[in-house]
Amino acid sequence: MSTTPLIHVVDDDPSMRGALLRLLDAAGFDARGYSSTGEFLLHPLPERPGCLLLDLRLPGPSGLDLQAALQQRDIRLPIVFLSGHANVAASVRAMKAGAVDFLTKPVKRDVLLDAIGRALERDAMQRRAREEADLLRARFESLTERQRQVFERIVAGRLNKQIADDLGVAERTVKREREQVMVKLEASSAAELGRLAELLRHPAAG
Amino acid sequence: MAHALVAALLLCCGALPAHAAGDEAQVLVLYGLDPFIPSFLAMDKAMREDLVAATGGNVLLFDESLDSQRFSLETLEPELAALFGMKYQAQHIDVVVAVSRTALDFFERHGEQIWPGARVVYVGFLGYESRPSVLPPGASAVLSILDVAGTIDIARRIQPGARRIVVVSGTAEIDRTAEQQAREALAKRHERVPVEYLTGLPLPELVARVAAEPPDSTVLFLAQFRDRDGRPYGAMEAARAVINASRAPVYGAAEPFIGLGVAAGSVSSYETKGRLVGEQVRRALAGGPPDPRYTVLEAPNRCVVDARALKRWSLDAQRVPGDCEVRFADVPIWREYWRQIGLALAVILAEALLIGALLFQRRKRRFAEQAEHGLRFELAHANRLAVAGELTGAIAHEINQPLGAILSNADAGDLLLDSGKDERDKLRDIFADIRRDDLRASEVIRRLRGLLGRHIVEREEFDLNDVVDDLQSILHAEARRHGVAFDMQAAQEALPILGDRIQMQQVLINLVLNAMDAVGEVPELRRTVTVSLAKGDNGAVLAVRDRGQGIALGDQARLFDAFFSTKSNGMGLGLSITRTIVEAHGGRIWVESVPDEGTLFQAELPLAAANGASAPHLA
Repeated sequence: MSTTPLIHVVDDDPSMRGALLRLLDAAGFDARGYSSTGEFLLHPLPERPGCLLLDLRLPGPSGLDLQAALQQRDIRLPIVFLSGHANVAASVRAMKAGAVDFLTKPVKRDVLLDAIGRALERDAMQRRAREEADLLRARFESLTERQRQVFERIVAGRLNKQIADDLGVAERTVKREREQVMVKLEASSAAELGRLAELLRHPAAG
Repeated sequence: MAHALVAALLLCCGALPAHAAGDEAQVLVLYGLDPFIPSFLAMDKAMREDLVAATGGNVLLFDESLDSQRFSLETLEPELAALFGMKYQAQHIDVVVAVSRTALDFFERHGEQIWPGARVVYVGFLGYESRPSVLPPGASAVLSILDVAGTIDIARRIQPGARRIVVVSGTAEIDRTAEQQAREALAKRHERVPVEYLTGLPLPELVARVAAEPPDSTVLFLAQFRDRDGRPYGAMEAARAVINASRAPVYGAAEPFIGLGVAAGSVSSYETKGRLVGEQVRRALAGGPPDPRYTVLEAPNRCVVDARALKRWSLDAQRVPGDCEVRFADVPIWREYWRQIGLALAVILAEALLIGALLFQRRKRRFAEQAEHGLRFELAHANRLAVAGELTGAIAHEINQPLGAILSNADAGDLLLDSGKDERDKLRDIFADIRRDDLRASEVIRRLRGLLGRHIVEREEFDLNDVVDDLQSILHAEARRHGVAFDMQAAQEALPILGDRIQMQQVLINLVLNAMDAVGEVPELRRTVTVSLAKGDNGAVLAVRDRGQGIALGDQARLFDAFFSTKSNGMGLGLSITRTIVEAHGGRIWVESVPDEGTLFQAELPLAAANGASAPHLA
């Protein structure tokens, strides 16, 4: 798995697309071009850091349509929109749906690279969060049934004694399982366990 | 060879030997003075015309000159007489016209030897020369008289308040004779104003002297053939200089001075004199003794005034004696022919009124036509602007696209240079792309420029397919904006038409935008607009088809009327102007529409003359 970011450029205008790819290449990125929404979706998306530079108006489904489709598929590639002309309604829609930026052609290098930088930052952050969540989930998977029951009750704010009553086990057993949960999830306090629980419920948050 | 030619000439034109001349009249004009003095020329011309007319051209004229004014006749006379004797030895002369007393005297001394049997007609200038006491036998005389007294009389009447009289004359014999006339005439008048005689002044002095004369003097120019230094003058030379220099009015008694610029004078007409001479010559030719009643004829004197000179010296025309002939006046024609002129004016006026009325009617019609034409032009322009406004988004897109590519390419080039690596090939590619995109952007502008400006309608031959090419990118961009599937195909063959390319762009845009509006409300699958060009039986056919809701049958008939629109926000101009343009190109436009199926607009335009039909389509 390469760590060099890969920028996906979707633009139906060959010369515009070519120029963008060339600029990104010169700026040290890997870049890949697509002439339509469909072409992008048909392409397998490599597991690499990156972002999407997306033309608003495209033959067939538009850039906004692609943004919605990616969201549905839970593909969280950050999107920078590029539009042939300022279009307030479309830019509002795009930003509300989570676009990093909405740029108008012709776009200055600094503005473009800055937007791409921010998109990659967001991508990295999302990846980190996702990795964390994955790690946490793996750790969570390693808990036994009993330990999971104890964990749920701890984060719900119940005391050891109450948990023991709930589960019909000795309070000592609860204490031992609780220590195991702390070790397996690498947590140091009940408060931290609460945060982890939140992460497990909403993996991308933060 | 030359010899033979001369001999042939002599043989064929045997008029040269005198006695072979038959009954042709032989007349010699003998000038005592320079024959090119203007008054002599005028007289000579009139005399010759009279003789030629009277004899049917059957007259042979000879000229000789003694020019006694400039050469001393006293020393030359024997030689001249001998020369003429030789010259006229073989040439018989019937009549000698002796012009001036000098010529008459010469004839009296030598005529019998040189021109035996010739009769003489004396042309005299009394006042300049003395009257001969006796005429030779058989002679007659035509005299003009230097009327100094009459001229002074006219000058005094025109200029009664003159303070001085200045008399100009030279030192030649005739100058002095003329001056003597003036002295006698003035003495007889008992003038109370002082009189000064400027006699024989060299020209520069004379001019300066005359120029110093105040405007209320009277200058009388007689003659100056020679000055006191013996310098000879042309007949008009001194007169012209004096007239030009003088602030005081100048008067003269010889006819040629009148046109030269003197104010007035009592003169005899040399033309009249010439005719009288001709008459006397004919009498002499007829033979027999001269009729005593006609032996001496006097050419009459009359008062002649120069209107221009009167004006120049601010002389009062009211004072000109009533019997004077006014020359060079501005309005005499009107006075003389007022009846004819009045009638002509009345006819012209009537015609002018008629023509004016007709023109007025025509103008009114033209103005109305022009106003209508102008209005249509304005409407077409307004419609073009509206259309351009609608296309703004598409135009911006089509221009921003290459501009964006150019900018990004340039940025990439910068970065490559910054990297320090040798990326020459990549840079070369970048430059090539920049150039291509730049051309692309300017091409968009070029093709659409006409749409935006107020342009003069042209009439030129162009391929209708070019119009489709012009609009291909922009209409595709517009279609994308509307989410419409758009297809536009040029024809396979050339479609040359005669007309205005911009207006044809307008027609195509109007029809396509209409079609895109028509499919705005229908389901996505039916949002298609198709444009095709083809060659039909009667010319080029432009077809614009949409799969929209169609047009109600009742509306179809009024579709092309101005201000009729089925759209809520429509002006109702687009189709009206489209039809106007198509019809102005000699074509027609019609619509076929089926409700819920779609609409087909077709415009048929006549092809330009055959020469374009075979031209290859290069689009």
